[in-house]
Amino acid sequence: MELSIAKALNAGLRAAMEADPKVVLLGEDIGRLGGVFRVTDGLQKDFGEHRVMDTPLAESALVGASVGLTYRGFRPVVEIQFDGFVYPAYDQIVSQVARLRARSEGLVSVPMVIRIPFGGGIGAVEHHSESPEAQFVMTAGLKVVSPSNANDAYWMIQQAIAADDPIVFLEPKQRYWDSATITDEPALGLHESRVVRAGDDVTVLAYGPTVKTCLQAAEETEDSLEVIDLRTLSPLDLEPVYESVRRTGRAVVVHEAAKTLGLGAELAARITQECFYSLEAPVQRVTGYDLPYPPCRVEHDHLPSVERVLDAVDLAKEF
Amino acid sequence: MSEFRLPDVGEGLTEAEIVTWRVAVGDEVKINDVLVDIETAKSIVELPSPYAGRVAELLVSEGQTVAVGTAIVRIGSASEDSASEDSAGEDASAEGAALESVKSVVEEPAPAKPPAVLVGYGPSERKRRTRTGRTQSVSASSVRVLAKPPVRKLAKDLGVDLASVSADGPVVTRTDVLRHREQPPTAATSRPVTGVRKATAAAMTASALIPQVTEWVTIDVTETMNLVDRLKVDRQFESVKVSATLIAAKAICLALARTPDLHARWAEDAIDFPQSVGLGIAAATERGLVVPVVPDADRLSLVELGRTIDELVATARAGKLQPAQMSGGTFTLTNVGVFGIDGGTPILPPGQSGILALGQVAKRPWVVGDDVVPRLVTTLAVSFDHRVADGEQASRFLRDVADLLEDPARAFTF
Amino acid sequence: MGLPIAQVLAPDGRLVGEHDFTLDDLRGFHRDLVLARRIDTESFALQRHGELGLWPPMLGQEAAQIGSGRALQPADFVFPSYREHAVSWCRGIDPAKLLGMFRGTSLGGWDPAEYNYALPAIVIGAQTLHAVGYGIGTMLEGKSEAVVTYFGDGATSQGDTNEAFVWAASYNAPVVFFCQNNQYAISVPLERQTKVPIAQRAAGFGFEGVRVDGNDVLAVHQVTSQALRKARDGQGPTLIEAITYRMGAHTTSDDPSRYRDRHEGDDWAARDPLLRLRLHLSEIDSGFADFDEAVQAEAEQLGEHLREVCQNLPDPDLADLFAHVYAEEPDELIAQSQEVASWS
Repeated sequence: MELSIAKALNAGLRAAMEADPKVVLLGEDIGRLGGVFRVTDGLQKDFGEHRVMDTPLAESALVGASVGLTYRGFRPVVEIQFDGFVYPAYDQIVSQVARLRARSEGLVSVPMVIRIPFGGGIGAVEHHSESPEAQFVMTAGLKVVSPSNANDAYWMIQQAIAADDPIVFLEPKQRYWDSATITDEPALGLHESRVVRAGDDVTVLAYGPTVKTCLQAAEETEDSLEVIDLRTLSPLDLEPVYESVRRTGRAVVVHEAAKTLGLGAELAARITQECFYSLEAPVQRVTGYDLPYPPCRVEHDHLPSVERVLDAVDLAKEF
Repeated sequence: MSEFRLPDVGEGLTEAEIVTWRVAVGDEVKINDVLVDIETAKSIVELPSPYAGRVAELLVSEGQTVAVGTAIVRIGSASEDSASEDSAGEDASAEGAALESVKSVVEEPAPAKPPAVLVGYGPSERKRRTRTGRTQSVSASSVRVLAKPPVRKLAKDLGVDLASVSADGPVVTRTDVLRHREQPPTAATSRPVTGVRKATAAAMTASALIPQVTEWVTIDVTETMNLVDRLKVDRQFESVKVSATLIAAKAICLALARTPDLHARWAEDAIDFPQSVGLGIAAATERGLVVPVVPDADRLSLVELGRTIDELVATARAGKLQPAQMSGGTFTLTNVGVFGIDGGTPILPPGQSGILALGQVAKRPWVVGDDVVPRLVTTLAVSFDHRVADGEQASRFLRDVADLLEDPARAFTF
Repeated sequence: MGLPIAQVLAPDGRLVGEHDFTLDDLRGFHRDLVLARRIDTESFALQRHGELGLWPPMLGQEAAQIGSGRALQPADFVFPSYREHAVSWCRGIDPAKLLGMFRGTSLGGWDPAEYNYALPAIVIGAQTLHAVGYGIGTMLEGKSEAVVTYFGDGATSQGDTNEAFVWAASYNAPVVFFCQNNQYAISVPLERQTKVPIAQRAAGFGFEGVRVDGNDVLAVHQVTSQALRKARDGQGPTLIEAITYRMGAHTTSDDPSRYRDRHEGDDWAARDPLLRLRLHLSEIDSGFADFDEAVQAEAEQLGEHLREVCQNLPDPDLADLFAHVYAEEPDELIAQSQEVASWS
């Protein structure tokens, strides 16, 4: 069966809700409207208002109240409508959600999923194209994942809901309408990375929206690129990455988030640590610039593009 | 004739289905009159016309799904239409009258420009850019050799292909690369000039401009070698390498105290006398000739002088000398004897006015009293800057060094 | 508990309250309402043409915005949300300046200091705190200026908005909190945001709340004028709830048919802000027909102006944006902008 990412998430949420009556969805406009991207379309009709809740317009309360629900044994799935609106909830997320288990010395669980459409490339106004993942990856106590395709979206949302840790689930909104075949079984666990295209010359790392960009780049070049979809940002699954870099000697990281202190910096440090003797070139990073996300007419000059990825591949090879 | 392309009506939608055309070919439309209903992943949307004129052609049929950016309708301007014949067979006179009455102020067709395409979505729509600031790469060999980045750079600088270097261990080291480089080439080759070789060439060329003269003397250093033997077993000199070089270094310091002209510095209209002796010790290393400097050599005891010289030479051989350790020299000692050479005409190192070459110490026939006996003999050769000193000063200096080496006990008289 | 809903002009055009507007004032309101509606509908159409990425329509809310906007004095500072197109009109901002942000060529569009009108706030409720701070600032200077902040019913749930109420009360700040209760926050109806009329919540925080028929431009003007006077006189904040209806969608990306009944819109159409004033003026103003014709012609020209400007808005150069991030541009950003410039 072929589904778009948006529809795959819908199906995954449905499956999770059918499997466990404690799973509840909260968010703005998710019930009657079905979500501004239709990801929760039809769920309120089928599961009822007590399991799919249209909430008042208050992100901090969305997350804070959901903490209360977890105390009561529920498994809330919170939708933050757009990445740029997560900041009012940031305090609840990093001060409470991330810390309750540690604070309680393991006694309190926060099995919450916070779904956030993230990333740019949709021609939107300000605050609708952000990539705040680093701010969650650096927060101990949180896990962070990002599916790049519909099949991963379908299985990962269910795995995230079933997990007992709080998970920030980043959905690449630019790719919501991209379709893929849904498999009968999940091929991977939630926190595993995957080689999505094998190659010999350069290792290219991506997650979320840039996976597709990197696959396009791999198609267009004579060089043999090995493209790895990280899938899980915290914890990282880097053994496949190290194995690849030990073979190719060159790595390029591609993400929409700004260059400084983006995940590329962390990956470069780790790869240098583990693959030092194998490196023919420093780890290259293709990223958004250190700018507030620009007006959408020029966003494609800001976001990593196929030509910028290939330029970085060339640079890596020149060393 | 204007084409209306399907816009992205809702934050990143990629396609839409044409549900109902609200106009037909031949219809007059004003700007913002509704043309068509489309259905997207989110909703049903009415599309108003960006153009005024007559509908010339519906390019997509109802029920068809098309991608954002696809042209869906063509609308002719009033002036175009009045000249064209391809209206769809409706009532031509009524149409004509309608055209006539079109108000030019409001109904003026959109100026000729690229058709309306929405910003932002669809990477395929976007023009590819090229980089102007970088050159294209030449693909390097992709043989997998393990080596630390600095070693890779060294190999690259020396023009050595890492893959051809035989290594002692799993990782190619600096030593491996340098050893590989020393091997004689089997065919006529050329080597790029870099690093120490380049620096040496520059220094020697600059030195050639200075008027310098060499004097030499051959002396009996048997007493010095006896002293060396005694010091070698002396507890105080346990960790020091005692040799003729060390004694010569000390002798130079003592002689310079008497004749400081030999390490004064030419400064155009002045001659500067340094406060102490910065004694350069020429050392041959894998990278080439380097001259570490013992600072304040004249203030060191013999054992301190020996230790300092040993450390500096070891550091030089390891290729780890810092620039600071090679500066501040006022006089240099070069031992050509280790190469089995008696002497030569040493060239002044940059910034210095004197250099002394110590030749090999070897048994030679010598006159003692009236007999000819074998003695340990060496030659000392000093080059000096003739702007700063004359033969008289140089000779006095050289004679003092010679005297000390012939009879080390004379040091008491200095 | 019922706070009365102030009204001067009923939906059928009858006067049901007192006012001291002149005929010229009334004509001025009519012109403003018509032009405001044209700005909105033309911009909406431009989005459908593919010239704008997004447009949040204020269709149906013209009276709430014109009535309050015309009550302002030039020195009063305004902190809007993103839907106050008609208020910006009152501030003298060329409506074409609204378009850059929605076309994606800019993140703003004007200099706030030039118009005493802040750039639009997309983050819900954030502007209410800005307004309170500004108000406190005027008090520290001993000035007698009022600050107005506009927001919707949804914003009253946000923490920032509630914190703004607390501060405004605590400092007795000269802030007029103008809430356009248009009944919806995207798809979520009013009942989800509040259990009591919005204006009533002010009492809980310790200041006055006032309800007004948001589609009655005359009543809105009166109520706002009074609140502004009160603020300038040092008598503190007021929460005005203007009851109105979002006739259009939340934005051009929204489809209201999925969450509200279409006949709801019909009821509200009968209470349209333009309609009632037109009916009233038709009764009392013998020259109205000619005046209206001139206004309609002006609206056509305004529409053309918007189309013309919109289609010619230049795309910025990404490389130029780096200089606007800091007062002193760091070396890393200079290097990055050069990297951007190396692409063509």
